[in-house]
Formats: sequence, structure tokens, C-alpha cells
Amino acid sequence: MRRYKMLFSGLVMVGAGAYLFCASPLWFVWLTGCFLWCVGIAVGIAGAAVPLFVLQEPVPPTGFFMGRVANPTIMPSRQVPIEVLLLQIENHVRLEQAAAESFLAFPTHDHLHSKTPSPLVN
Amino acid sequence: MTHELLSGLSSAEAEQVLALGTRVIVPGETSLFRLGDPADRLFLVERGRIRLTLPMPVRGREENIFVEERNPGQAVGWSALIPPYRFTLTASAALSEAKVMALPREALLKHFVENPEAGYKIALNLAVVIGHRLQLFQTMWLREMQRTVEVRSA
Repeated sequence: MRRYKMLFSGLVMVGAGAYLFCASPLWFVWLTGCFLWCVGIAVGIAGAAVPLFVLQEPVPPTGFFMGRVANPTIMPSRQVPIEVLLLQIENHVRLEQAAAESFLAFPTHDHLHSKTPSPLVN
Repeated sequence: MTHELLSGLSSAEAEQVLALGTRVIVPGETSLFRLGDPADRLFLVERGRIRLTLPMPVRGREENIFVEERNPGQAVGWSALIPPYRFTLTASAALSEAKVMALPREALLKHFVENPEAGYKIALNLAVVIGHRLQLFQTMWLREMQRTVEVRSA
């Protein structure tokens, strides 16, 4: 659809130009209609030619490198080897313990509900 | 070395307690005791680290999940003094070997009867260790609950 955008624009300009040319008795509107009509035909022809003769380059997907570079900390759990997963769990337990120790040393609401940087839950 | 369980005891009293035990070398990654084993000995870590784990199914396989680590000066296996005298965790040496002092329950209880003052101090120290563990895991449990609630209500 995006390829024919120019063609549609040309057709709209031709239509608008023809309307102004026929409908208005004022000379400057008549001239504007005439101009729009001519430019519309040019744009329409160009719009029809571009998709036919110009080869489009493939558009790289968004986040091109995301699918290729493995990030060991945020890989989906199904892809993570079990040894890595167990290490992540251990790391998570250690972080949670540190957070709990911090709460016990200074029991405040903020310490109790502080966010963990553990990749297991983020 | 200062043991958390012997805190507040005079050096003579501490020596008397330590004389009840035997030193045990635990090779690296070897179990000291397993979940469900009869708990007839209390351990004081002297060297190395003891990992406490609990079994959990991970991808259809039972894995020992890390729960806590005990360092030199700390006690392991207080289930030996608390009925029903069964270990509720699995303890094993970390990568390198560990050295622990194993104190048999019967000898300890006999010593407490004969030395009530020392027994009282050790019981208080044990209460501190257990209380701290309880508060720690209570906090960790609440944090996990909070996360569960956040996920469920998202």
C-alpha cells in the first residue's frame, strides 16, 4: 500500500484540479485548478512508475541485532541451559537475602519493598 | 575463633563445650547431611563454607536450590536441638573443603544440665540464630508474595 501512496496523491490532485477548473467562475481559482490538474497527472504518472521500475531494498526488522546477540541475563528461560538457570536462581536468592538483611537492619516500608535487580524476576 | 553459638561464654566455658565435639572435614561439594536425615549432631563451621539447599523440581528434574550459606563462626544444623530432630535442609561443603566441629546432641544436653548457666547462654544464642533466620525468611517470603500479587493483578 505504501508503494502506491504517490499514485494516490496524484489522483487526488487531478480530481481536485478538475473540480476547481469546472466549478469556479473566478479566474485565479480556474488557473489554480488547471495547475493542480497538470501537476496531479505528473505526480500520478511518477507514482505509477516508481513501484514498477524501482527495486525496493529490504527493510531491516526493528531491533536488528536483538535476535542475533545472545544476552545471557535476559534470555527466555527455555533457551537458558539448566546450569545457568540454577546460577540465576542462586543469584536471585542471594540478592533477596541481602534485601531482607537490609530491611532487618533498617525496617522501613521502602526497604521491605525495594526492587531487586535480579534478572530472574525482571 | 568466635562461634555465634558460644557468644557470651568465657573462654573456659567455650573450651568445655568444644571439647564435647569432634572435628569433621567435609570435602568440596560433599554432603554433610541431607534433608530428612536424623539430626543428632549440631555443627559449628570452622573453615570453608557450608551451602544449605532444598530440593525443587526444575524442568522435570530435581535440583538442589541454594537457600543459604554458612560461614566460619556460624552454626549449622540446629534441628539437632529442636524436635523432631530431623534436618530440614541439605548441607554440603561449597567448592573447597570445609572443616566443622560436630557436637552430639546427647553430650550437649548432658552438659547443659551440668552447667545450666552455659546452657542458658547457648540457648539464648540459639534463639538469636533461629529468630534471625525466621525474620529473614519471613521478609523474603513477603517480597515473593508481593511479586506474585503484582503479576496476578497486572
